Amino acid sequence: MHGGNVTARDDILGRLRSKLGRNAQNAATARQAMGEVLERHPGGPRPSQPADRLAYFRQRSEALSTTIDEVAAFADAPAAVAAYLKRHGLPLAGGVAPGLSDLPWAEAGLRFEARGGRPDDLVGITGCFCAIAETGTLMLCSGHDTPAALSLLPETHIALVRLSRIVAAMEDAWQLARDELGRLPRAVNFVSGPSRTGDIEQTIVLGAHGPYRVHLVVIREA
Amino acid sequence: MHFKARVGEKLADRILQENLAKAKPKFVDSRAKVMLELDDIEATREAAKQIRNRSLENLDLWLETFESKATEAGAQVHYARDSQEICKLVVDIARRHGVRKITKSKSMVTEEAGLNRALEAAGIQPVETDLGEYILQINDNEPPSHIIAPVFHKSKEEISDLFARTHNTPRKTDINELTREAREQLRPHFLSSDMGISGGNFIIAETGSVAIVTNEGNGRLCTTLPKVHVVITGIEKAIATLDDLSTLLRLLPRSATGQAITNYVSVLTGTKRPDEFDGPEHLYFILVDNGRADLIGSEFQDMLRCIRCGACMNHCPVYQTIGGHAYGWVYPGPMGSVLTPLYQGLENALDLPHAATLCNQCGVVCPVKIPLPELLRKLREKQVERGLRPLSERIALRAWAWVARRPALYALGTKIGVRYLKWLASGKDRIKVLGVAPAWTQGRDFPAPQGETFRELYARGQRDCAR
Repeated sequence: MHGGNVTARDDILGRLRSKLGRNAQNAATARQAMGEVLERHPGGPRPSQPADRLAYFRQRSEALSTTIDEVAAFADAPAAVAAYLKRHGLPLAGGVAPGLSDLPWAEAGLRFEARGGRPDDLVGITGCFCAIAETGTLMLCSGHDTPAALSLLPETHIALVRLSRIVAAMEDAWQLARDELGRLPRAVNFVSGPSRTGDIEQTIVLGAHGPYRVHLVVIREA
Repeated sequence: MHFKARVGEKLADRILQENLAKAKPKFVDSRAKVMLELDDIEATREAAKQIRNRSLENLDLWLETFESKATEAGAQVHYARDSQEICKLVVDIARRHGVRKITKSKSMVTEEAGLNRALEAAGIQPVETDLGEYILQINDNEPPSHIIAPVFHKSKEEISDLFARTHNTPRKTDINELTREAREQLRPHFLSSDMGISGGNFIIAETGSVAIVTNEGNGRLCTTLPKVHVVITGIEKAIATLDDLSTLLRLLPRSATGQAITNYVSVLTGTKRPDEFDGPEHLYFILVDNGRADLIGSEFQDMLRCIRCGACMNHCPVYQTIGGHAYGWVYPGPMGSVLTPLYQGLENALDLPHAATLCNQCGVVCPVKIPLPELLRKLREKQVERGLRPLSERIALRAWAWVARRPALYALGTKIGVRYLKWLASGKDRIKVLGVAPAWTQGRDFPAPQGETFRELYARGQRDCAR
């Protein structure tokens, strides 16, 4: 059950129990209180937000060097992606999350294969489970239709974000996951702009080990 | 080398002093600015404190809950009492899976354990992938000087030289180019490693997950590409729920680097699912004691709330002057001055609780409200209780106490003392060398006494009133 290291486990937990004065009675009381916390998962204070959530999401995202486009419907996304790639002289090919494979990519002159991320991909296109206005953040859930490496290995990450899936705060994102997924996927990756480092002289540089560019296409369709 | 000798060396190191002066305002200013985004900073800190206390008050039960949830999701949970057990567990796991190369995301607990040395001795290659940690590893395994900015003490010129020498490439001085060079050096390692090691900022009982907070993306690479992922973190990192994580994340990046959120926050639960393209097939947790369990229920339990943001060292006048290496072990600054004696033995870090002005800047900025000056003072008391202070200090204090209990003698003593100091000052308002204790004035002047002593003033006041 605990691998092969039962002694260390019993020793550590045993010392914790004795330091905390654990007995059957206070364990039962504590477990009940813990059960309530897990059941209700109370939140802490949240910063207030302007009423226009999209405008705030845009402002917070752009502050992190994310770029944003808006289109009316999913079907318009490939043309918007093609325009972005051409504008920046980026390759018109790469990997796209299998969950988005039915969009008209080829019609927009793009060659994106539905698959996981590959080391030589220069561009990766994904959707997102939801997005968070408070911090300009994407919530990406791993899975067959949404491979984790597609947003990580390429130098450019493009994500399609449905307007109705922009929530206010991370707590709301967790609630969506509880309601819609039941159990968490293997990896939930919150992505807030291109990867960066400040390790050398506390000077911020974009594109450390992950993407240099993060571009979002917000889809207004309900 | 002793603390005082190291401090002397660091104060005399002109390059280090320049680097520290340059780095100092950056973290402080950006934190101050981004904290103001919170409507109620105090309420958020208080909530974070309560979240951490709630975990610590029933840590045994939260760990059991975490363990059963993590196991359910496909992970294996191990415990390690000390550094030796950490290293043995990791080497055993690596051997079980035929691992030859390990990519590592930043983990201070593995610094505690000296894990890289143990891996190399076992014929396994550890590759540090956080830019700062990578720089230190190729610089002959130099230790980090800051818990979130490992090369806080280095200038870009020093890093330029190191890269040119190690990578055999033309010397670059642009930070963008240096970062790209490190990316190109490390990418092949990510793709060819069999195992990833990460720390864990939090482990979450509700779901049996680990939360990892990074900016560079190396943490994601280490935990997505290799077939084995090992999380090594302290037992005190348990929290209850995903909502608790959300609250703590409003403070951790803000306090650490002055960001509202880090670029990446990964919440990882269990192993690769059957239809997934990526993700590790094996996930292990190593939950580390290394002195932590003994702080539960003690007067130092508050210290276990620490979420390792580094704000206390960024705001510490002592850290800003001597840098992280002077502290001598893994954790520097105020949090290190509390943790080092507690984890390494009071007698092995006698100077650290005194390497503080008790100005409480650390206490004010701590996101989980750890009373750091209070804990430093308690450690000083422990030193006295255990008779660890030097004989000269003990004699001096005893003599002072003896005199202080005899008011007439005390008055005479201060009178003579003040006359002596005035004589030393010889008309100036500063004393350059304090005659009886010259060490005190090695790095500062002693203010010369002005006018009468307090007792003389008081006595005169009484006389005037009586008239």
